[in-house]
Amino acid sequence: MKVFTFRIVIITAFILLSVYLLYPTYVDHQNTVRLTEILEKARLNVQKYHPDWTPFQVEHRMKQIEDSVKGLDPSYASARAKRVKLGLDLQGGMRVVLEVNTVKLLDKVAKNPDNVFKQVLADAEKDAALSDENVIDLFARKMKEKGVRLSRYYGTVRDDDKKIIDQLKKDAEDAVTRAMEIIRNRIDQYGVSEPSIQRQGARRIVVELPGVAREEEAKNLLQGTALLEFRLVKEPQQAIAIMQKVDDVLAGVDLKDTTKTDTTNATVKTAGKNRDTVNYDKLPENKRREVFEKNHPFFSLAITQQNSADLLVLEENKAKVQMLLNRPDVQAILGDNSEFLFEAKPYTGQDGKKVFPLILVNKKAELTGGVITNAQANIDQTTSGAVVSMEMNSEGSSEWARITGANINKRIAIVLDNLIFSAPNVKNKITGGRSQIDGMKNMEEAKLLEIVLKAGALPAPVNIIEERTVGPSLGQDSINSGLFSAFLGYILIAAFMIFYYRRSGFVAAVALIFVVFFLFGLMAGFKATLTLPGIAGIILTMAMAIDANVLIYERMREELATGKTMKAVVEAGFSKAFSAIIDSNVTTFFTGIILYQFGTGPVQGFALTLMIGIVTSLFGTLVIARLIFDYMLYKGIKITVE
Amino acid sequence: MRIFHNLNVDFLGKRKIAYTFSISLLLLGLISLVVRGLEFGIDFRGGTEIVVDFQKPVNISTVRGYIEQIGLGNVEIKTFGGETGILVRTEAQDLPRPVYKKMITIIDEAKNKTLPSATFILADTSNTGSVTYSVANPDSVEVVIRALMASGFQADKASEDLNNNKVLVRVGNSDWIKYNLREKIKDNNFQILREERIGPKVGKELKVDALLALLLSFAVILVYLAFRYKAAFGASAVLAVFHDSFIMIGLYSLLYGIIPGLNLEVNLTVVAAFLTFVGYSMSDNVIVFDRIRENMKIHKSKSLEEIMNMSVNQTMSRTILTGGAALVTILVLIICGGEVLRTFSYTLFFGILIGTYSSIFVASALVLDYTRYTKKKIEF
Repeated sequence: MKVFTFRIVIITAFILLSVYLLYPTYVDHQNTVRLTEILEKARLNVQKYHPDWTPFQVEHRMKQIEDSVKGLDPSYASARAKRVKLGLDLQGGMRVVLEVNTVKLLDKVAKNPDNVFKQVLADAEKDAALSDENVIDLFARKMKEKGVRLSRYYGTVRDDDKKIIDQLKKDAEDAVTRAMEIIRNRIDQYGVSEPSIQRQGARRIVVELPGVAREEEAKNLLQGTALLEFRLVKEPQQAIAIMQKVDDVLAGVDLKDTTKTDTTNATVKTAGKNRDTVNYDKLPENKRREVFEKNHPFFSLAITQQNSADLLVLEENKAKVQMLLNRPDVQAILGDNSEFLFEAKPYTGQDGKKVFPLILVNKKAELTGGVITNAQANIDQTTSGAVVSMEMNSEGSSEWARITGANINKRIAIVLDNLIFSAPNVKNKITGGRSQIDGMKNMEEAKLLEIVLKAGALPAPVNIIEERTVGPSLGQDSINSGLFSAFLGYILIAAFMIFYYRRSGFVAAVALIFVVFFLFGLMAGFKATLTLPGIAGIILTMAMAIDANVLIYERMREELATGKTMKAVVEAGFSKAFSAIIDSNVTTFFTGIILYQFGTGPVQGFALTLMIGIVTSLFGTLVIARLIFDYMLYKGIKITVE
Repeated sequence: MRIFHNLNVDFLGKRKIAYTFSISLLLLGLISLVVRGLEFGIDFRGGTEIVVDFQKPVNISTVRGYIEQIGLGNVEIKTFGGETGILVRTEAQDLPRPVYKKMITIIDEAKNKTLPSATFILADTSNTGSVTYSVANPDSVEVVIRALMASGFQADKASEDLNNNKVLVRVGNSDWIKYNLREKIKDNNFQILREERIGPKVGKELKVDALLALLLSFAVILVYLAFRYKAAFGASAVLAVFHDSFIMIGLYSLLYGIIPGLNLEVNLTVVAAFLTFVGYSMSDNVIVFDRIRENMKIHKSKSLEEIMNMSVNQTMSRTILTGGAALVTILVLIICGGEVLRTFSYTLFFGILIGTYSSIFVASALVLDYTRYTKKKIEF
């Protein structure tokens, strides 16, 4: 029995690991079913009580309900994050490839574009559509043909063509970084789950937005310019007073609001009387939290700090807070010139959770980003901290002097597309338009602010060169037919194996279940994406796993014919078939690697599934099946292979 | 129960028959490639493709009649899935100017129907990808956008500026196609299953990548097999798989459009299936080679031809069984796997058939002739 313990322990460990890794997928599935039910009921409700609503209003209400359900139950977000990732072809969604519009960039950066410039640029654009050559190179070549120096439109008179070309190319690459940051910001705000934004090569960005049904809105996220604003931060006293009022309004809401007919509601519960005089120490430990949440619905989510009027919100509560802030009664308190904005990047709190600061700022911007001419991240010589130097044009400089002069020791927030990237203190009046912003933790943060400032000043125009959308119904159909085929395939294979190889076939069928189970577990563990070709890959893996078994069993039959003992037969079968099994699986594995490198999206998903499948099928055949055989030999159970 | 037990067919002796068969298939494929070429999908050609699903069954010829001449040049219309699915594809990238002008009229009509009193002035028509309108004031922007979106157009603010009073409506081939479908098939609603737009450069790049991937996989496997076996085996295995690949490509060229409902266009997933079947065919050959290697060590006195025959016969039951198992699972995929995977499954199906054929009849034969030709003796 000792011989078995080691292997049984390993296999059990893998089983437990797989169960652990796959559990979120199960939870997510349950959640989705429940959410669909709730939305169905809500939709019927809406039709009954509000038959006059436009589709837009209906969808808006559906989104509100969905957000509140998800806000109430954190397992929605966590299960969704940890489940087996589904490719776009299975869950529906959009995949967009963007390329920086270098032509527009050349146009925008040029000093004094005249007709010659416009003509050459148009020519270069036409050629670029068909050739692989870089637009900048094409443009430079055409300019040279005309005998015009690039320094006429770019850089300084002393710069030669090559220097300008290099700088322009660098600008183009920077533009991609800026565009990525802008898109990332917007997608975060739009609330797509598991969005993916990746750079492809020097000039392209691949954006994947799973589950996006409102294709129109999503596509609009990805183009256009970003808005950079400088907004005054409300003074602490004023801010705290407003926050208090918000908390009061939310705590005092009566649940008997009959205009609401949805079955779920926000976390607003009726507050107890004397909420301000509750003595928390007298309450039992577990009740304190509950009572606090009831009495202070706002502050229990947006946590106050000691030395600052900034509130802190845990990542999981962001949506809830946003929902509360959007309520008309809260909006009434905030009035015309106040707005709560989140910071774009979170801190990591002590418990490892991400926390976003929430700051009260003016709604109206003091200045917009169009006045910025340059931004640069640096290390300050004297303090050796990371700083960002910012330059403005003359119009901006005079405004900036006025604004900083009037607001010394107050904070000004730098806002890009309604997210705060920095809210530094104004130390003194800044004339001449040159400012230095400090307070960044490290060079990385400073670099980010530099990108943001530049993004407001010099937008990165992008073109969509590839877009693919899969509707959610097609995705669901694909999952259904794919999984059904896999299941049917398994039944057929298992039936055949048992029929043809008797008990050994049964062993193979059992091992195959483990193979598929571990395959899913590993995919969840590696965060690999399951695509529709991937499901085909699973089916193929089953066929290849059977191949290994067939090799062994054919060999076993041959050995049996020579009259060996069953023990020797099993031994010989496995060892002699080993080299063939390894060789054939390795060659298929190699094609998997190449497919993974070359492919994108669904094809990569297929390659990964195939490779993981080969690993698990080798394990299933050589370890699990072998273990079962050894056990059968040990216990004297009869093994038949024909 | 056994199949192919004690089989003793002289495969290698009869290899000339196999060669003839293969060569004729290859020639047929080559001719077809030259004359008909391959049908490439949108992944490689670029263009726009929409797949829609109607509520009620539609007649493909009627739809073709409506959509073929809508000004986008060559438009392909095919069925997708059952009788309710339609696939429309065009190679055009951007809207041609005449069509663009018509789109503007359509947008104006839509706006007049829903918001007759709102001001709506053309601001920017320089780019055929979008139309920009000025509206009365920033507040009406939201209202106009909602109205346009409800009518099925993609509308958005032209800029995030607080004083923005311009609305941007994005127009493309897919919008024009959708509009035509809606207008001309009034009594039958449809939903969009899938929409794709691929730029021209992307398609070209994909072709190069696909070819590179194929060649790279050949090279890698060649090296591996030369390392595990002798060079003769490695080269023959690769040659056999080349042979399989060409037959496959030839088959695609020959058969597309001939069998109704069999969609044989080459796109990304087909290339993936291709590479998979290359792997499968290779591993199939390897199984036979492994047996040859083993037999050569045991039966040192026998000739190479005898050993090869012995090996092929001995491995026959395994080859047929595994091939059969794979084919059955692929068949399940073809029948139950849905339309999206269909071409992929067909590729694998044919691939496994061809791969099995070549493992039995072609691969070892090539090794034999290689040794005869170079007069080298193989030893393990």
